Amino acid sequence: MSFNVLIVDDSNAMRAVIKKIVTISGFQMDQCLQAGNGREALEVLAENWVDVIISDINMPEMNGLELLDQLKKNETLKEIPVIMITTEGSSERMQEAFKRGAKGFIKKPFLPEDIRKVLHQVIGVSENGEYKEDTRTTDECDF
Amino acid sequence: MENTKKIQELLMNAIFEVFEKMFFVFLEPLDEDVKYEMIASINFIGPIKGDIDVFFTRDLASAMVQNMLGVDEVGVNLKLIEDCAKEAVNMIGGNFLQKYDSSKVFDLSIPVFKNESGVFATQEIAASETVWNLSFESNESLLGVKMSIS
Repeated sequence: MSFNVLIVDDSNAMRAVIKKIVTISGFQMDQCLQAGNGREALEVLAENWVDVIISDINMPEMNGLELLDQLKKNETLKEIPVIMITTEGSSERMQEAFKRGAKGFIKKPFLPEDIRKVLHQVIGVSENGEYKEDTRTTDECDF
Repeated sequence: MENTKKIQELLMNAIFEVFEKMFFVFLEPLDEDVKYEMIASINFIGPIKGDIDVFFTRDLASAMVQNMLGVDEVGVNLKLIEDCAKEAVNMIGGNFLQKYDSSKVFDLSIPVFKNESGVFATQEIAASETVWNLSFESNESLLGVKMSIS
């Protein structure tokens, strides 16, 4: 099973690093799409299907939390799992992101293992590509 | 005074963590002025508000790009340097604030990058209790960090 991933970050360098980590994590990636902010992400999503979105919060034009709101309003896009990856790691900010629909949270600075672990949890796939159903409740997720 | 020392320790730990984890750059504290060639800045608002400026030499910024992206010197360009410098100040700000009080929400601005040179004088205003001036060295490349809180 291979996946389409959308990475949303205003930093080219950060997008390149995340892409590299996802690739070396062993996930079968079909397409890796990229956007520089939430608005660009919506444009990409209008023309492409993705299986998971990895998004920064602090971005110009449309930030990651606003992107979550827009996705939630859209019947087609609201089921796409979103992993927030950000420097803003207060527990309140994390709760806010989860309330708005985020499925995972990664704090910067991160290690490659952090991204791999959250990807496993969120899309329910092991590194060898096997599907694993996520049976956790919201309360069991790591905030 | 005690609080000032604690804040400095938190800031230093945040800086070390960011540079080691994301850029594989190991910094040593230094007590020298830094002749910088670029600056990345950010401000934050919350229970406390303030500004952070990071002063880079070109050598250090180039090493950050090379280490983070796994490219050689030829693959380094100003756009990538700007990206890495802005990410660095963003992560230092976020990491420091999380260490300062992770139960509170702080809003960080979008980082700003300036390609300008000058001298970051560590000694001049280091005595203030609301301004922290720190300098570091890694493989003979220098870095300066200034944080002010109001």
